[in-house]
Amino acid sequence: MATRWPGATPYSPIPAAKNLPGGGTGQERERKVVSKGNQQYPPLRALQASAVLRRASDEHKKEPLASSSQQHFDSPPAGHQPEQKPQGPHPSYTGQGGQESEDYESEEQLQHRILTAALEFVPEHGWTAEAIAEGAKTLGLSVAAAGMFRSDGSELILHFVSECNSKLSELLQKEQKLVQLGEAEKKPIDEFLRDAVEARLRMLIPYIEKWPQALSILLLPRNIPSSLNLLTSMIDDIWHYAGDQSTDFNWYTRRAVLTGIYNTTELVMMQDSSPGFEDTWRFLGNRVADAMAMSSTASQVQSTGEAVVQGLMGAAVTIKNLAGLNQRR
Amino acid sequence: MAAAAGPAVRCSLWQRRSLRCGPGTGSAPLPARPSGRPAPRAGACPSRHRCLSAGPRPVPGGGAPLRLCSTQAVPQAGINKPVIDRIIRVDHAGEFGANRIYAGQMAVLGRSSVGPVIQQMWNQEKDHLKKFNELMVAYRVRPTVLLPFWNVAGFVLGAGSALLGKKGAMACTVAVEESISEHYNNQIRTLIEEDPEKYKELLQVIKQFRDEEQEHHDIGLEHDAEATPAYSVLKTAIQLGCKAAIFLSERI
Repeated sequence: MATRWPGATPYSPIPAAKNLPGGGTGQERERKVVSKGNQQYPPLRALQASAVLRRASDEHKKEPLASSSQQHFDSPPAGHQPEQKPQGPHPSYTGQGGQESEDYESEEQLQHRILTAALEFVPEHGWTAEAIAEGAKTLGLSVAAAGMFRSDGSELILHFVSECNSKLSELLQKEQKLVQLGEAEKKPIDEFLRDAVEARLRMLIPYIEKWPQALSILLLPRNIPSSLNLLTSMIDDIWHYAGDQSTDFNWYTRRAVLTGIYNTTELVMMQDSSPGFEDTWRFLGNRVADAMAMSSTASQVQSTGEAVVQGLMGAAVTIKNLAGLNQRR
Repeated sequence: MAAAAGPAVRCSLWQRRSLRCGPGTGSAPLPARPSGRPAPRAGACPSRHRCLSAGPRPVPGGGAPLRLCSTQAVPQAGINKPVIDRIIRVDHAGEFGANRIYAGQMAVLGRSSVGPVIQQMWNQEKDHLKKFNELMVAYRVRPTVLLPFWNVAGFVLGAGSALLGKKGAMACTVAVEESISEHYNNQIRTLIEEDPEKYKELLQVIKQFRDEEQEHHDIGLEHDAEATPAYSVLKTAIQLGCKAAIFLSERI
């Protein structure tokens, strides 16, 4: 699963910036960006932050050419690069005819690294710009890097959720491989759902103190599309690996039921103070059992209804026979 | 614990359907559970094979039993997911609707002289629907929310057109099949523009189905569809409805 969530690039790339002559044209570029109508950040601030970032990282790496920092700056094609792997903190230099052509990373990869580094400061600072700033510091970047992100820490939370979902996906995929190879038994559906939800919720444990804050931020109207998207794709993943093959309305009912189970269990976990969260897991087990019982009840009701209808039809035919209405003349 | 009795009770109750099983769970003997979990509870289905024949496990939300192993999933990387999503979703909805239309027509005209003709066309539509069900699972596409609505609307359309007589039913068939053929042609064009090699299998399926829908269209014409009173009005109205259905199913 992609770690990007839709619509979450911090700012759109500057396509024309590449063609501008290097050196001292920061103003021109900024004007160009403003005219392109950047929405999500004050573009000036973002550009300056980015520039500061790069200069700091450049100093850190002791760049030989002065103009290279400008060239760095010239080509930040956020998200449009084909390369997907982060290149590491120290890109290699391969001088080609005097021009710098190093393995730069895209804006997105850089943000990914900063946010990942920021996660370890969350228990202390919460989901805030301070944590992001601390994370940037550990990467050797300037504190101003936190200016790339929104001040309420939404991106950090969304990044964390996205990472957790990817981890869960990998876990489920590994399990599925083991089952396919015959090395493990296929779990019954209620156990599978219970284990999957438990595994996903356990990833919250290191951050459990600050998680209520994260939940409230995720519920902000601005973040709802992204967080809903992440939630639905996670639930869809779990059902896919559970073996769901429905192609009718059950597709929706099953996902709705599991979403309900997940959300309620998450809320219970926030308030759980039992050792090892055993109350939460018991709650989870009960909810999953409820859901299974509900579905078997529904099928029973349906078959009972059919049987009743059959009985009534039989009674009607009997009465007609007795009354002599069924005779052929 | 009540849950322990649960599986045993469920296994015996639901004798109706047997689970299909794909590759991988058939012949391998059950290994010991690796993670140290307790052995299957006494009274629970001790062997997977016996459970398979005993019946489906209940599933949250009800519905068809879960297949115990994953089907051959299409690798998700590299395909244009939004486009393929839409194509499969709307085609699935279309075949589902066509099924219901023929069901409605059979309900009224099943015992008439065109009954066998309609039945044969209906069987082909059932095959189409089955194929799209498989594709939907393989590409992990969600079905349209409007399925229950198309369920009813299709049946009503089929029954309603059949009540206008055999020619009316044929006119409805002609209108719907023409709409569907055009729609499939559009999709074929889209896929060819995208990447004919990558979507070869899907293209083949859609081409074959388009040809069969065209056949149905011709069968309808053969059976005097055009002799229906108010034929053009009926045809336009039905085709308008089909266009709206296609538009909605692609998106919702």
